[in-house]
Amino acid sequence: MKSLINLSIAILLVCAGLYFIAEKLEPSGGKGSKDTITIYNWGDYIDPKLLKKFTKETGIKVIYETFDSNEAMLTKIQQGGTTYDIAVPSEYTIEMMIEKDLLYPIDHSKIPNLKYIDPYYLDLPFDPGNKYSIPYFWGTVGIVFNPNLLSKPLTFESWNDLWDPSLKNKVFLVDSAREVMGMSLNSMGESLNAKDDKLLQKATEKLIKLSPNIKGVIGDEIIPMMENNEAAVAITWSGSAADMMAENEELDYAVPKEGSNLWFDNFVIPKTAKNIEGAHKFINFMLDPENAAQNAEYVGYSTPNKAALKLMDPEIANDERFYPPEEIKNRLEVYENLGLEWLGKYNEYFLEFKMSIK
Amino acid sequence: MKKLSMPAKIYLIIVFVILYAPIFYLIYYSFNSGGSMHDFESFTLEHYRAVFEDSRLLVILINTVIIALLSGLISTIIGTLGAIGIFSIKRRNIRNILLSLNNILIVSPDVVIGASFLILFTMIGVKLGFASVLISHIAFSIPIVVLMVLPKLLEMNPNLIDAAQDLGATRRDVLYRVIIPYIKPGIFAGFFMALTYSLDDFAVTFFVTGNGFSTLSVEIYSIARVGISLTINALSGIIFVVTVLIVIGYYFVTRRTKFANGGIGRL
Repeated sequence: MKSLINLSIAILLVCAGLYFIAEKLEPSGGKGSKDTITIYNWGDYIDPKLLKKFTKETGIKVIYETFDSNEAMLTKIQQGGTTYDIAVPSEYTIEMMIEKDLLYPIDHSKIPNLKYIDPYYLDLPFDPGNKYSIPYFWGTVGIVFNPNLLSKPLTFESWNDLWDPSLKNKVFLVDSAREVMGMSLNSMGESLNAKDDKLLQKATEKLIKLSPNIKGVIGDEIIPMMENNEAAVAITWSGSAADMMAENEELDYAVPKEGSNLWFDNFVIPKTAKNIEGAHKFINFMLDPENAAQNAEYVGYSTPNKAALKLMDPEIANDERFYPPEEIKNRLEVYENLGLEWLGKYNEYFLEFKMSIK
Repeated sequence: MKKLSMPAKIYLIIVFVILYAPIFYLIYYSFNSGGSMHDFESFTLEHYRAVFEDSRLLVILINTVIIALLSGLISTIIGTLGAIGIFSIKRRNIRNILLSLNNILIVSPDVVIGASFLILFTMIGVKLGFASVLISHIAFSIPIVVLMVLPKLLEMNPNLIDAAQDLGATRRDVLYRVIIPYIKPGIFAGFFMALTYSLDDFAVTFFVTGNGFSTLSVEIYSIARVGISLTINALSGIIFVVTVLIVIGYYFVTRRTKFANGGIGRL
């Protein structure tokens, strides 16, 4: 009996010791108070040095937590019990959050650095007037390919290059209905927000013709698989493409000329926030051209900050694959909220296509 | 012990290779300077250094260990008392019902437990973080401790208790001096099971973490979205070594108590 009690005390002491070490490493401070903000962001999606710089400049401590999908983040915020001051959802999730009244309107007068954002990325259909969100990073959907694994020198200037018979069993698709259906619609020169049964049917038929070329329809595993040259071609988001290209230098990325999707990850302030003042300060801090440039170089995604672009390594800033030229940019479309009925149809058609793959 | 025949040995080796190969593969590449899980370039300890430089990752690791130790300790206390309680119920029906209720918690999917905890915590207004994770870990560990302790109680000779009472022991003495020393190996087993369950739980923890508090399994899952970085390999390597050390420690602890029990058995 005595030994058990001793052991329990020993465990408690170890816990106390560990807690002490943890406090030393990263003081937590009073949670949700005036001098801390809690940020909820995607994994590895910010330069950690900037968080330290922010604390140094403003005295506000940053508690940083990560999520892996929009859905997981939405659940955590919707359920309550959390006090995130800032979150970074993608545009379709922002639309949902606005509908569900989960967001706090952003006071533009407290974010003077908003003037550095290219107006092209402001006032978009998912958040008119940017009442609830401020752009953080943006990107496109396009084609990652390894020229060394192609038997025919394709450039992927057009989506239709994917249908080339030389690509038999060499293409990965990202497992997402709107991306794949949108790709097929784009390849026919149609809008990826099409609400027309006949058009969707045609797009599906076209996709089914693509099925001999498909090696797999997969999720985030697409990144390590492309890095390891498991397939020659993949359709994915520009952000994933940047990750792949950082690991595997043979890879290249193209946004076809017919147009594509333009996506965003934006800052929002959830209704559950405790330090709204601090959240505004943080957003303003991140929009500062110098900080935005440093962050964009670390993360490797495309920044909407036009002043930051001038400060960045010209090799990155002039990379047409990630900052496409005007004529392609004009053909990029943001996903519109299709409504449940049409979203269901997109999913059904996508499923029909997936079932045709052998 | 009979010596194993040749096919049996080969079979055993194959099984162990299959079980351990992925772990060693992972640890092997944690020393790779190439930065990916293929093409071993040259030996480096840089990923191990990266683990110790990333203070956020270290804090999460420490949090995970604190949660595991505390939830193990508390659930062992509650679970042991629960097992003794179930043991002391004389009506067979009720005892079986209680045991089944206990077992249902073990077999019910983690996702269900996690989701129901999330709903419960938000309903009664517990802020997600350290407390919510600790409470849920204690909750899913208790049934396991009960299950580890109960067999020890059942195998105990009931005459021992009668004999102690005949010799003038109070109920308290019986509990502290007879029952608990006898079931000590079960208590240890329960504690270590609770510890490992807590360390590797993902599904329940995933639901109840929040406000900057996270455990290792949840954090690794978030990072793995963009491909596993070798820092995770290095971290896994460290955890594996620590686990092996714990198992060795557990082995010595139980060996000692086994000898002690041998003494009691002869009485």
